[in-house]
Amino acid sequence: MTDLGALDYVLLGIQAVFAGPEAFSLLGLPIPITVAMVTIGLITGIIVGATPGLGGVIAMAISLPILISIFGFNSDALLPVLGFLIGVMKGSTVGGAVPAILFNTPGTPDAFMTTLDGYPMAKAGKARKALKIAHFSSVSGDTFSDMVLIVCAPFLAILVEAYLDLPEKTALIILSLSFIAAVVGGSPAKGLLSCGLGLLAVYIGTGEDFYPRLSFGTDALSDGIPITAAVIGVLVLGAIFVELEDLWHQKRTSGGIQIIKEVGDQRLHWADIRRILPFIGRSAVIGTAIGALPGIGSTLAATIGYATGKRRHDRRKAPDDPSFGNGAPEGIAATEAANSSVSGANLIPVLSLGIPGNTAAVFLILAAESIGGFNPGPSVFKFTTDLNPELVIVFGLFTAMIFANLLNWTIGGVFMRSLGVLARIPKQLLLPVVFLLTLASLYVQETDMSAVWFAFGFGVLGYFMRRFAISPLPFVIAFVLGSRLEDTARQAFSATGGDPFFLFKSPIAAIFILAAVAVIVLSLRKPEAKSA
Amino acid sequence: MKLSFKAAIAAAVVAVSGTVAHAADWTPPGPIKMVIAFAAGGGADTQARLIAEELEARHGWKVIPEQVTGKGGLNAVNALKEAPADGTTIGMIVTETLGYNMASAKAGQPTDVTPITTTAGTQMAVVALSSKGWKTFGDVIEAAKAGEDIRFGVMTGMLGDLAYVAAKENGVDFNIISVRGGKAVMNGLNAGDMDVGFGAGIQAKAVAAGDMVELASARSEPLINSPDAPLLSEYGVEFSNETAFMFAGPPNMDAAARDAIAAAIADVVTSEGKANAFITKGFGGPVVISGAELEASVQSDFDSSAALIQAASE
Repeated sequence: MTDLGALDYVLLGIQAVFAGPEAFSLLGLPIPITVAMVTIGLITGIIVGATPGLGGVIAMAISLPILISIFGFNSDALLPVLGFLIGVMKGSTVGGAVPAILFNTPGTPDAFMTTLDGYPMAKAGKARKALKIAHFSSVSGDTFSDMVLIVCAPFLAILVEAYLDLPEKTALIILSLSFIAAVVGGSPAKGLLSCGLGLLAVYIGTGEDFYPRLSFGTDALSDGIPITAAVIGVLVLGAIFVELEDLWHQKRTSGGIQIIKEVGDQRLHWADIRRILPFIGRSAVIGTAIGALPGIGSTLAATIGYATGKRRHDRRKAPDDPSFGNGAPEGIAATEAANSSVSGANLIPVLSLGIPGNTAAVFLILAAESIGGFNPGPSVFKFTTDLNPELVIVFGLFTAMIFANLLNWTIGGVFMRSLGVLARIPKQLLLPVVFLLTLASLYVQETDMSAVWFAFGFGVLGYFMRRFAISPLPFVIAFVLGSRLEDTARQAFSATGGDPFFLFKSPIAAIFILAAVAVIVLSLRKPEAKSA
Repeated sequence: MKLSFKAAIAAAVVAVSGTVAHAADWTPPGPIKMVIAFAAGGGADTQARLIAEELEARHGWKVIPEQVTGKGGLNAVNALKEAPADGTTIGMIVTETLGYNMASAKAGQPTDVTPITTTAGTQMAVVALSSKGWKTFGDVIEAAKAGEDIRFGVMTGMLGDLAYVAAKENGVDFNIISVRGGKAVMNGLNAGDMDVGFGAGIQAKAVAAGDMVELASARSEPLINSPDAPLLSEYGVEFSNETAFMFAGPPNMDAAARDAIAAAIADVVTSEGKANAFITKGFGGPVVISGAELEASVQSDFDSSAALIQAASE
């Protein structure tokens, strides 16, 4: 066997995508399955992103179990399935701008800031131009973020393995959880509550002891809670329950959407691009930096990107240019570049540490765990001279991401501009369909009604969490990380010869733990500082 | 402690060829759920999935693998206990699950499941990175005696006891780290989180590449890839680990289903194919024991576990 260098792994990864099994042939040209799945994923993503009430998370939740049952459980299934999810992730950020600009209803929460300038532009008859600006900025931000991911993830992983021992790894997971709890959803108390509930749920029926703990001796709980059921329940069903109740209260109809006639030139000129490029650049850096930290979502990135862009714009704009909030193309650019550049960077902690930072990452980890053969984490990046199949998968993923970006640059823009009609689908018809589809696809994967009941129960939990303004994200991430935390802590404890203070003995671990406490304490103080 | 696999192989092959005849008569009444007691992505998991794949290809059965990990395979055993006994649920565990693990957990009897067939033995070895500079297990003991903290990665309770007894017999202490699956031990060694660890065969590639070295055999016979490595018994450890991978079904499994599945799996692991190649490379070749033979050896494994449990509790 010849020795494999880093470049060989890159080539193998590209091959895994483009020379993989053939899905079908188009005009005599064989289309590899991964390429086909990325494309379908991207189109699906744009569609669900453009449909108010749907989003990337719902699309991932419904499609994952179905895809797994189609592609099976061997490692050949990894790239097509993960490629599809990445396509959805990228497509939905782009698609979210469509209803935001055309109808002032953001398709995804991240796109809210887009409505501020996008809708005024549309009202002024510049809808198509606004969509083009949103698309250009979104894809630029995304591409930048992916490049940072591809460069940084391997190095970060190697650094982690070189410098972090078991106690430090335990401390790092604790720090991530406390960080997520502190920054998501405004109140650290609610974040900690959500995180704690997630840990409590994942520790049911697991552990090293032979008695299934926390199961009250019942059979139903003794095998633990299926991870898919918990994640889909809290994230998707909970959101659907809340939406349905809102609809029921408001009896909103979706009629009355005005169609505005287009006025003037809709093309995106080089001069326009030059005007918005500085905003895209800043926002892309902001979004990427925020995305690399676990738990801070694209909504915050969009807000900060918008605010930063606004400050710059207020200083430099010509007097007759529209200011932010009145239809400034720069506003759309600043928002869309920021929220789209989160997604690539979000995979840095996933691939290099195995720690998911947002819901899309949770689904990628879920896919990897269900299919098997790929365990995201630092050990993936071992450039062994004999073949390390997990590293090939990583480079395959990178290839799929770059390919998805190319698609997004080319057909994505055309496609998204044709989707305005989706905003007219009445939610009261859409949501029950989505609800049943979610449960059906869950059953497809688990083939057990108990999973459906679990999901239903966690859906109710997700409903109440949303009603009490508790973010479900810390819950989900704690659920995903819980067993890793326990295992690593156990191992660190035995590795240090049974030292109960293993978390405080090494300087790095102690710093992580101090930071974990500090993050909570500092975010507790913030509201007081504001009111003072 | 020991299973007399070598003696049993010949008989088993005969038994298998006898059952092949009516194997064709049985078809599963639905998709077969394959419970896998091992962490996804490890050597045992790969073996199980390759077998599942070839069962599908050769017999047209639908096989759905499902991970039920933890507690040394006893979680998987629990999953099997309540499953329908018509051949639609089988599980891959190790003989150790029904022997040592069940005995030490006081979690039932081997008869709680129906043994179907073994697939492969192991190349259970004490493994370290070559960069450590150790040649044999004796070097590890020397290092421990010189005051170095030795972290010993194990993936089952029995191996933990073996590591403990090995330390005790040589007057040293190991910090024994229990992880899920041999893959996790390999990752721990590579990351420097552990100094030595047990590998059941997953180490084969790294040993061949010169990245890792097998310091001792935990079996009663030398290792195939490192025939010169000493046996643990040379260091005063009077127990050995003869674990084999095996499939089991729910208790009182339908006899026709059991025989047909045993024959089909035996065919997959012994005749040329991906599963056979993988087993030969990593686990020293197929070992097929089924029927009453397997029931008896699993029972004797269970009955004789007490000695090691006793030795490790002293």
